[in-house]
Amino acid sequence: MGNLTASSFLVALSGIVIVFIMLAVLCLMIPLISKVVLAFEKPQINNRVAPTTRPKPEQKPNATGVSGEVALIDVDEKTAACIMAIVSHETGIPLSELIFKSIKAI
Amino acid sequence: MSDFSFIGTLQKILMESGFAAFAKDPRSLIMIVVACVLFYLGIGKKFEPLLLVPIAFGILLANFPLTGMLNAPVVVDGATKSPGFLWVIYQGVQHAIYPSIIFLGIGAMTDFGPLIARPSSLLLGAAAQLGIFTAFLLALALGFDPNVAAAIGVIGGADGPTAILTASKLAEDYLPAIAIAAYSYMALIPLIQPPLMRLLTTQKEREVKMTQLRVVTKAEKIVFPIAVAIFVILLLPDTAPLIGMLMLGNLFRECGVVDRLSDTAQNALINIVTIFLGLSVGCKAVAENFLTVETIKIIILGLLAFMLSTVGGLIFGKIMYKLSGGKINPLIGSAGVSAVPMAARVSQVEGQKANPANFLLMHAMGPNVAGVIGSAVAAGFMIKVFGG
Repeated sequence: MGNLTASSFLVALSGIVIVFIMLAVLCLMIPLISKVVLAFEKPQINNRVAPTTRPKPEQKPNATGVSGEVALIDVDEKTAACIMAIVSHETGIPLSELIFKSIKAI
Repeated sequence: MSDFSFIGTLQKILMESGFAAFAKDPRSLIMIVVACVLFYLGIGKKFEPLLLVPIAFGILLANFPLTGMLNAPVVVDGATKSPGFLWVIYQGVQHAIYPSIIFLGIGAMTDFGPLIARPSSLLLGAAAQLGIFTAFLLALALGFDPNVAAAIGVIGGADGPTAILTASKLAEDYLPAIAIAAYSYMALIPLIQPPLMRLLTTQKEREVKMTQLRVVTKAEKIVFPIAVAIFVILLLPDTAPLIGMLMLGNLFRECGVVDRLSDTAQNALINIVTIFLGLSVGCKAVAENFLTVETIKIIILGLLAFMLSTVGGLIFGKIMYKLSGGKINPLIGSAGVSAVPMAARVSQVEGQKANPANFLLMHAMGPNVAGVIGSAVAAGFMIKVFGG
C-alpha cells in the first residue's frame, strides 16, 4: 500500500490526539481566564459606578423599545426618526435592539 | 553595418523569441491554457478571485519561455547576477512571510467573541481536522513521500495560508497544486458541505435552535489572544509564525488603541500580500512540476480531505448534540473546517432551511475560528514531525 506503514497510523493518531489535547486545554483555559478577568473587572466597575450613582429618571410609559437618548446635531426630530427607521429596515435589526448615540447633519 | 540584413534580423528575433521556444517544448503552452482556465474560474465563476486571478497570472508569467523571471541569483567571477523578479517575490513564501502576514489580517478581521462565549466550540474545531490526518494516510497509500503526504493532508484544514506554509516547508515542488486545490475547494464549500450535512444529520437535529450566546467583555477579548499565543506557541513552537500573527492581528482589533494598525492589517496590508502570495504560488507552477499525475492525485486527495474534515466536525457535532441533551445543533460542527466565514455561512443556510427561525451564524463562528487555530496546530505538528 504505497508508503503506508504502521508508524504512519501512529503519526496520524498522535496528530489528531495532540490537536484535541491542545484545543481541549484551551477550552478549559478560556473559562478560567474569563473568571479572572471578570473578577478584576467587577471591583473597577463598582468603583466607577459608586460615586456617580443617582436615582434613575422615570421612564415614560410610551417609550417602550427605545433605550438612551440620541444627540441630534442640526437634525430635526422628524428626520432623525426617518433615519432610524431606515437603518432598522436596511439592517433587519428591530428598532428596539438598535442604540443610536447621535445623528449629525453633514 | 554593411552586413546588416533586415530579413536576417527579423529571423533572429523570431528564432530567439518565446514563440520559437514553445515549438521546442509545448508543455509551457499547456500551462498557459491552465492559467486561462483559472482566469475563467476566478473572473467568470468568481471562485476565490482574489487569489485565483494573481495565481493564474503568476502561472502565465512563469511559463513564458526565456524571461528569466524565476532565475536565482548567480555569482559569476565574484559578481552577483541579479535574480529574476518572481524569484525575489517567491522568497516571501519560501521563508513563510506571506502566509503569516495573511494570518495577521485574518486575526484583525476575526471576532473570537463566539468562541470565548462557548469554549466547547474548540472541540468541534479539533474534530474538523480529521481530514488532515486521514488524507495524509491516503496520500501515503497512493505512494507520496511522508513529507509530501503531510503537506497534502493539510489541505483538509481548509485554510489556504496554512496549506501554503506547510507545502513551502515540506513539499515545495507541489506547492502550486496544493495551493490551487486548497483555494478551489474553499470556494466550493457551499457545494461540498451541504450534501454531507444532510446525509449525516436528521431533520430533528438540524431544526435545533440554540440559545443566545453570553456577552463577552472587552477585557476578555483582549486577554484571549495574549493567553492563546503564550500557551500554544510555548507548546508547539513551529506554530509561532501563524498563531503569533493571528493573535497579534486580533489584539490590534480588540485592544482599541491601535485602530490604524488594525485597519491596515485587515485592508491594505492583506491586499498587498495577497497579490504577492498569488503570484508566488502561480510562479511555481511550471510545466515539469505541474503537468504530472501527482497533480491529479493531489486534487482528488484535497477533495477527500475537505469532505473528511466536514464529516469529522459533523460527527463531533452529533456527539455534542447528544451530550448537551439536544441543545447544540450538529450543523455547526461542519464549520469547524477553517474557511472563515464561508463554512459558518453554510451552517446558517442549512439551519434556516430546516427551521426558518434558526440563526446559527454566530454559533457556527465559534467552531469556525477554532478551526483556524486547530489547522495551525495540525500544520505545526506535521512540520515538527516531517520538517527535519
